[in-house]
Amino acid sequence: MIPEMTISETTQSKGAPLFCLVLAGILFLAPALNSFAADASVQVQLDVKKAGPRAVEDLTERGILRDYRLAWTSMAQAFQFNSFDPLEGPFSGEAKHWLRQAVTSQQQSGLSCRYTNQNHRVDAVFYSPEGDVIELHDTAQYHLQILDGSKTIDDQDVTVHYVVLMTPGADRWTIRQLQAVPQF
Amino acid sequence: MPRRFKIFALIYFAAAWAGVCSAQDLRVPASASAGEGTTISTTGNGKATFYLVGPGASRKSDVSLGEDIHLASQDLQTAGRYLAILCADTCHSSAFYLSAGKPASLSFIVHPSRVPVALNDAVSGVAFPFDQYRNLVLTPVSVNFQLTAKDVSLFSRSVRTQNGIAWFRTTSGKSAGPVRITASLDDLTATRALQQVASDPCNLRITGQRTKTGILVQTEPVHDCTGNVLPDGTIVTFTATGRDGKDTVDAPIKQGIARAQMDSAGPTLISAASGVVIGNEIRVGAQP
Repeated sequence: MIPEMTISETTQSKGAPLFCLVLAGILFLAPALNSFAADASVQVQLDVKKAGPRAVEDLTERGILRDYRLAWTSMAQAFQFNSFDPLEGPFSGEAKHWLRQAVTSQQQSGLSCRYTNQNHRVDAVFYSPEGDVIELHDTAQYHLQILDGSKTIDDQDVTVHYVVLMTPGADRWTIRQLQAVPQF
Repeated sequence: MPRRFKIFALIYFAAAWAGVCSAQDLRVPASASAGEGTTISTTGNGKATFYLVGPGASRKSDVSLGEDIHLASQDLQTAGRYLAILCADTCHSSAFYLSAGKPASLSFIVHPSRVPVALNDAVSGVAFPFDQYRNLVLTPVSVNFQLTAKDVSLFSRSVRTQNGIAWFRTTSGKSAGPVRITASLDDLTATRALQQVASDPCNLRITGQRTKTGILVQTEPVHDCTGNVLPDGTIVTFTATGRDGKDTVDAPIKQGIARAQMDSAGPTLISAASGVVIGNEIRVGAQP
């Protein structure tokens, strides 16, 4: 009887710190997990077969895929939390300029946008002879929710076509132009 | 009787619901260009809140239903998809697209900045037309590419943009010197410069003579295969093989000729090379 109680007590006394440790770990990793979850919700399929005149190498294709997905994850975060920080890195030039403008005007009008369930079917249609610019055509499907404060004013699944220009930087590809069009 | 009542009630509520739904509506423009103001018409009575959400702009304002909503040009400068939302009892939305305006600038990328002469597909350029708000112009337009050296046209081609891009690739010219490359579209012109330099040497020939201090060896004027003098600083490597072993000297070309003084007392075999090109060999006898 006594040994059983002892075991039970011992288990509890060891389990409590372990539970706290796990909880602390989850809390510590929560932002990273959240970021991962957001990233995982962005699905991108890239087809480079039509790209030319330069052929897209495998490593380049993987880099573009990685950075394009990250850009959409970052853009979704920027529009959801009305924050400029996520835009630093994945965007440059004109794309970065208008995204910053969009976030500023969202802040001023009290609006926010949630892009979820993103699915991007991307075709590379042009890759310059020297490999310094690539044009992508993205048929993006996502759920877009627009909020005024906490009130949802629009909530719909949409399909949007984007013409995208990406250029390589020191360690990543950045989006320089992101322009929605009615059709390709 | 109760069954009839139910049917009538159902029809009444359906009609009432349809009435609510049609109480407010909005009509967006079928097409619009960046930087041009436009109008959205509304139906219904009373007050409502209007939202415009698009690239570069989000706007919220109070409007009267039944009146037109005027969107100023400064709200519509970025091409893309805009969503107009009208909220009274419920919210209704409609999307419209803004296309780029007329080309107002050309972005032009040329590679490389320095190129050997007569090299196949060595020069390339890519041009992008943008409107005054830096939207990519996707409507096809013709861009003229021209390469000129000393007012002589080396290359000229008109290329129609596809998906907002026009590009060319060509062989470099035959003469060393500066080349002007232009991309023009109507009255817009973007100019870049590139330097054509001599290619690898052709027929590298050397001469040598014994002097009091050794052997003076020098090249004949070094040209590439199209007759351009190789630029100063191009390295020619002289190798002397004699009884004492092998001696190597690097000498830069100066005004077309590379010279070197080599120490060798006995009979010596001298050769020269520049880049991947190997010149002739000469034999210089022993010091008398």
